[in-house]
Amino acid sequence: MLAKIKKALQDNPAIKAWIIRQESILGVQQYELKDRTESVRDVKSELYTIDVLCDSTDPEGNPSSGLGTISLLPEAEIESALETAVLTAQLVHNEPYDFAEPAPIPQLELTDGEYLQDPAGRIREVLDTLKRTTAGYPHVRMTAAECFGQEKKTHLVSSTGIDAQQTSTDIYLQWVYIAGEGENEVETFAEVRRRRIEDLDLTQGAAQRARYTLDLLAAGKPQPYSGPVLVQGETLAVILAGEMLSGSMLQTLASASLKYSGETPWDVGKSIFREDVRGDSFNVWANRRLPYGVPSSAFDDEGIPAQRVALIKENKLASFIANQRFAHYLGLKPSGAFGSVEMPAGSTPASELEEGSYVEIAEFSWFNPNPFTGDFACEIRLGYRVNDGEKTPFKGGLLVGNLLDALANVRWSQETGFYGNYLGPRVARFNSLKIAG
Amino acid sequence: MKDQLLKPEMSALRPALGEVLKILEKEAPYGAVSLSSRETTQYLVDNKQERVVAGKPTAGVILRTFDGRTLREKALGGFNKEDVIRGAKDFIQGVEYASNGKLDLGEERSGDFQTEMENDPALVPTEDKLEFLREMNRRVRAIDPRIVNARVNFRDMREKTVFRDRVADLAQDIQRVNMTIVVTVMGDQGVVFDWLSRSGTAGLEILTFSDDELAGLVKKAIKLLDADRVEPGEYQLVTAPGVSGVICHESFGHGVETDMFLKERARAASYLGRRVGSDLVNIYDDPSFPGEFGSYFFDDEGYPAKPTRIVKNGIFERGLTDLYSASALKIERSPNGRRQDFTRKVYPRMTNTFFGSGDLPLEDLIGQVEEGIYVSKTSSGMEDPKGWGIQVTGHYGFEIKGGKVTDKMYAPIGITGYVPEVLSSISAVADDFKLDAGFCGKGTKETVPVTSGGPHLLMKARVG
Repeated sequence: MLAKIKKALQDNPAIKAWIIRQESILGVQQYELKDRTESVRDVKSELYTIDVLCDSTDPEGNPSSGLGTISLLPEAEIESALETAVLTAQLVHNEPYDFAEPAPIPQLELTDGEYLQDPAGRIREVLDTLKRTTAGYPHVRMTAAECFGQEKKTHLVSSTGIDAQQTSTDIYLQWVYIAGEGENEVETFAEVRRRRIEDLDLTQGAAQRARYTLDLLAAGKPQPYSGPVLVQGETLAVILAGEMLSGSMLQTLASASLKYSGETPWDVGKSIFREDVRGDSFNVWANRRLPYGVPSSAFDDEGIPAQRVALIKENKLASFIANQRFAHYLGLKPSGAFGSVEMPAGSTPASELEEGSYVEIAEFSWFNPNPFTGDFACEIRLGYRVNDGEKTPFKGGLLVGNLLDALANVRWSQETGFYGNYLGPRVARFNSLKIAG
Repeated sequence: MKDQLLKPEMSALRPALGEVLKILEKEAPYGAVSLSSRETTQYLVDNKQERVVAGKPTAGVILRTFDGRTLREKALGGFNKEDVIRGAKDFIQGVEYASNGKLDLGEERSGDFQTEMENDPALVPTEDKLEFLREMNRRVRAIDPRIVNARVNFRDMREKTVFRDRVADLAQDIQRVNMTIVVTVMGDQGVVFDWLSRSGTAGLEILTFSDDELAGLVKKAIKLLDADRVEPGEYQLVTAPGVSGVICHESFGHGVETDMFLKERARAASYLGRRVGSDLVNIYDDPSFPGEFGSYFFDDEGYPAKPTRIVKNGIFERGLTDLYSASALKIERSPNGRRQDFTRKVYPRMTNTFFGSGDLPLEDLIGQVEEGIYVSKTSSGMEDPKGWGIQVTGHYGFEIKGGKVTDKMYAPIGITGYVPEVLSSISAVADDFKLDAGFCGKGTKETVPVTSGGPHLLMKARVG
């Protein structure tokens, strides 16, 4: 099928350039309830996605480029689909640009070799391990869990000469812990996505969830508060790198496409903050080469090789993240897709950040700042008032503030952690935030 | 004129589904087979670029067996008859099925259904669609020179499904359209934006915007540059229909999807027949609501669409089910078994979920508020079905003083509270009604199109 598509593209004189992405997916899914397996599924799919680039002229007579994209199932009719793609490409008018030229593609660690030996068996093992680990916490009970595994093979071929292949694995796990009885029951819900089963860190994850669940049983009401707020682990990763529902604010404001449309106020060499930095300096790489990073990929959808891009240096924007087209428009080097957020270790031991009085936010209902302004008002699912090491749990209330202002006044821990799409300080102490009780 | 009901390869495979079903039910107490094709094309025109992107289509066959205890599915990409028959034979090999239990499969039914529309997007040339978007972009840009960008986005979603089991032989072709206009404006403190959208199971005929609507959109976006943060505290709130809808969706929507009952995640499970809100609170879910974005003719398990009353006069009546949860909980099915696409499992999911209207004119409702906030637009919400906490983020709102909405704008507005307290605080329900469209996830996955809405409501909640 790939060869047939390639030939049809080469034979079509209206097409200036093309990219074919062949994606084959094999997946297994298992869904557990407390006393039974609710469902087991296996999934197989194959898809060919084709981008065609055509040159034309816009209604004012200026030269323009247009992109048409189609996706084909293995036995689909090729010619008529290509006609549609070409017609679309000729109707869409943008400033002229070209597809990416070949460049060395790095070898990245993206697969879980053990999973690939027996996918269904390994997924069952994950769930069995989780059940066994949970049994070590007699005051909590696991009432549901879902675990998915997926092997994805991608083959990308382009008219410019790129011919690259990669295999990756994805492991997804969610589970529910309940504690208490009747009206006093509480739950916590965990959701983890990694490339390898061993990175799920089941023992640590189960222990933390069990502790959170029990603390929720004892959680009191929130009080209005203004002062230092500590965030760590997965919750910190969501603040910096976003989660599965939405990308991060960094991703939005550092986007070359938004620079082109005039919708980001950020500029290279200028501070990303709207006020003076009163905490540690802020440094970030957008890293698509991070070993076993969930957004890592040897090449992206345009065939641009994985890079580790210095994004923010000493509080100033160092570069925009640009695909081929917007890099061309803005005169930048294309970086391709964003990848993970990586930050250097901070200078303060976590134990020092955890001194004195502060509030720790263990979990938000959803940390979803406005992606342009950074303003947020997010419900606290579980927090602690901490006084000299003594923790008192609470639930509810809103953490209110602005993400950029918060990042301009924060201290980062020396200790680092990896959370799927984030590698960096494990603990952050934001020096001044507000809770509406 | 409309496009054909099914893709040719689906029509070609459909006659063989009886044979596939026989293979499955040779071993399994219950078998079903579905064909599913979901395609989305997005068209975008803004001040500096144009784009037409065909999303990755999902198209495949779901083979399913159920023994009352475990639901097994095999999902195969494409519609190849030999692959499906071979797949069905492999699928039932070596599986030990428990007894059937008692399944509520409903009455025998058959039929082919298609979205009613005047202007089927499948029959409109791409050039015309692009020109329509360009014209919309020009109209918005012309309103105010302070606009940095006017992004006009049109999403064309086509969903074709065949469902076959021992009692049902059904097909449906659902056309969904969604157009969103996002206006961004740059100020000293960065970029702000506002949006306007129109959605439905319909054709292009519903995608019209008046000049007044577009002018209002631009005015609000510019006003956001000077919006204040609200002083945190408890307020009397008047919620616009979209905001009422998110409160409904996050409280007695997610929290009554009955897989949550089986997972012991839903506090509502112990509130059946009990009071959860004031007498004025009535909540419904209705996939048969004509023309709405979350509507369909039958769910992904072949159960016919019809309304479900969730809360009646403040009393929780029943939850939303799929085949599995209805069977395990031994309750009547509702038509809410939905899957994101053929690669995903069915869950009980919301469709069009809303508060029922009251009989008070809006002006009279707002007139009851001496000091409060009119929350006009929402940007997101998050459920907490066990703790019954609620988080709704209002994109913006306005001060209410002396029974009138003033010009003072607040943004953003975080609304939080304990669900029964918030619903019990509802003291007035307006006589209006509107549904807002969106996409709903289960946790952070399993996206399906939905609407939520209702009338304007008067309530009390914590705001920050």
